[in-house]
Amino acid sequence: MVSLLLQGLALGVLTGGLYALLASGLSLYFGVMRVVMVAHPAFLFLAAYLTYTVHTAFGLDPFLALPVTVPLFFALGVAVQRLLIARLAPENLAMMSVLLTFGIALTIEGLLGTFYTGSYKSVSMEYATRSLTIGGVHLPYDKIIAFWVAAITLVVLFAVLVKSRFGQSLRATIQHREAARLVGIQTERVAGYGFGVGLATAAVGGTVLALITPFFPASHWVWIGKLMAIIVVGGLGSVIGAALAAVLLGVVEGLVLVTVDATWATMMFYVFLFLALLVRPQGFFGGRLAHRF
Amino acid sequence: MRIASRGLPLLVAALAIAYPFLVPNYYLVYAGALTVMYAAMATSWNLLGGFTGYVSLGHSAFFGLGAYGTGLLVVRAGVPWVVALLASALLVTVFAVVVGIAAVRVRGASFVIVSIALVSMMNLVVQGWRSLTGGSTGLQVPSPFPGLHRGQTHMVFFYLFLALLAIALASWWYVSRSRFGAGLRAIREDEDKAESLGVPTAAYKVTAFALSALFVALAGGLYAVWFGSLDPIFVFSILIGSYMVLMSLLGGVRHLFGPLLGALIVAPAGEYFLIALGETQIHLTATGLVLVLVVLFMPDGILARFTRRRAGPSIPDETAEQRLQGVTP
Repeated sequence: MVSLLLQGLALGVLTGGLYALLASGLSLYFGVMRVVMVAHPAFLFLAAYLTYTVHTAFGLDPFLALPVTVPLFFALGVAVQRLLIARLAPENLAMMSVLLTFGIALTIEGLLGTFYTGSYKSVSMEYATRSLTIGGVHLPYDKIIAFWVAAITLVVLFAVLVKSRFGQSLRATIQHREAARLVGIQTERVAGYGFGVGLATAAVGGTVLALITPFFPASHWVWIGKLMAIIVVGGLGSVIGAALAAVLLGVVEGLVLVTVDATWATMMFYVFLFLALLVRPQGFFGGRLAHRF
Repeated sequence: MRIASRGLPLLVAALAIAYPFLVPNYYLVYAGALTVMYAAMATSWNLLGGFTGYVSLGHSAFFGLGAYGTGLLVVRAGVPWVVALLASALLVTVFAVVVGIAAVRVRGASFVIVSIALVSMMNLVVQGWRSLTGGSTGLQVPSPFPGLHRGQTHMVFFYLFLALLAIALASWWYVSRSRFGAGLRAIREDEDKAESLGVPTAAYKVTAFALSALFVALAGGLYAVWFGSLDPIFVFSILIGSYMVLMSLLGGVRHLFGPLLGALIVAPAGEYFLIALGETQIHLTATGLVLVLVVLFMPDGILARFTRRRAGPSIPDETAEQRLQGVTP
């Protein structure tokens, strides 16, 4: 029993790292535009399918798709923000942006289903199928790789947000848009780049996802639920809060997965979502919106 | 203008009642029944969305619960279908009140998240509770009219859905003229101000949420006995929920007949795409693109373009600036 719990805990931490990466993008969108981007998981699977194509057509390692998908997704993110989201009227931005990104998600799902069919696809690499055993706990290599890729990406993301001039402008835009504009920050452009960075994290996440799990076009709905639960529990807009909530929910999922079953493990995300909304709608870790990184 | 606005609905109603006898085959009766079902659901959705501005993408949860509730009562408890339909709709309404109390505490985008989560949860429960619901293999519900052949059944359900649509439209109309409706509109314009003016916002929101769920559940229950087989993936799909939103937005959420008009466009188009393009996923792309275009270019819907807020019981949607322009020379 103890080793079973340890197994669940270890798997939970590893998956939680990936969740943290995926949820960070959502926190960015919410921070810069107050937009809940329902299409984030759809883009995630778009990246997973592109990775799949690179792998099956050219026989390349999935991670070699990143130099293509990351810049591509950055550009897509800037385009989505500048061409679509920036056009919405500010009075009802929250609702309309959800509907807009929802439409984008449906569009992507339909295209993926048409081009790749609705059946399961997967990318499996020889090096990722074995697992590491420490003290009776089995840690699959693919999950370990996913964790480290997520961790490195998150560290880079934080470094950019904290150190670079762009990161400062972005944080200023998130904290107070008008004030940021007054000190000469071109907030529109910064918001576009913020979206680009968010989607770039989806490109990395999608590649990792392709490696660790089979996927099909409609599976992005499950991820919407999971990621939304994470950012609500973490506090909408807080990247740190999202990361903490991601690991917490990953661990809860892992423990329920080994002790009960997969249905209840997924259900825990929704239980936590409703609990957070009932008890602390501002989130457990986040504080007020996006005021810290 | 007045004659047109009075006469047109009557003419449309007469045409709708005569529809099954005007079309050449039973397939078109079936497509008609499906369209009327969606129209009824979109109108019900608009009882919440149109008045309060709360966008629920998860109303298919109530559709699915109504369908499974009715189906399970008929199959497992042997209850007559009419009783099962009403009982399950009542249960769903009670459930909606409970969920509503949690859901309407949050506003804006968080509410949409909750509504999406609701569908996913119900899907998980129904697929996971295999011994009761049959899980992913679905549930078979016996036909309520064993004496009728398939085409005649379509005809019966066409009129049942038409009756439901009429009730939903009448409810919307009644609410739009009531104090309750005025309170809901105040919530849409400025919830904090409405609260401070003494509108019991929480109670109003939960009531609107439950009322809207009740009619959608009735549509789900009728669907269950009409189709005879329930598939959790279809019944609890986000797509059904998004159709309700798309239809309402396209037609115009602030108009009585907006969702109906939207349904008359979207539902036949959906059926046509299904025939023309087969079972590919491209209809999702079509739905998604139309939604994006409506949100970007026509958020007030088609009816807002044609009516200048005179014909029909619609809600004025002036902004403060527009009002100011009206009084300043």
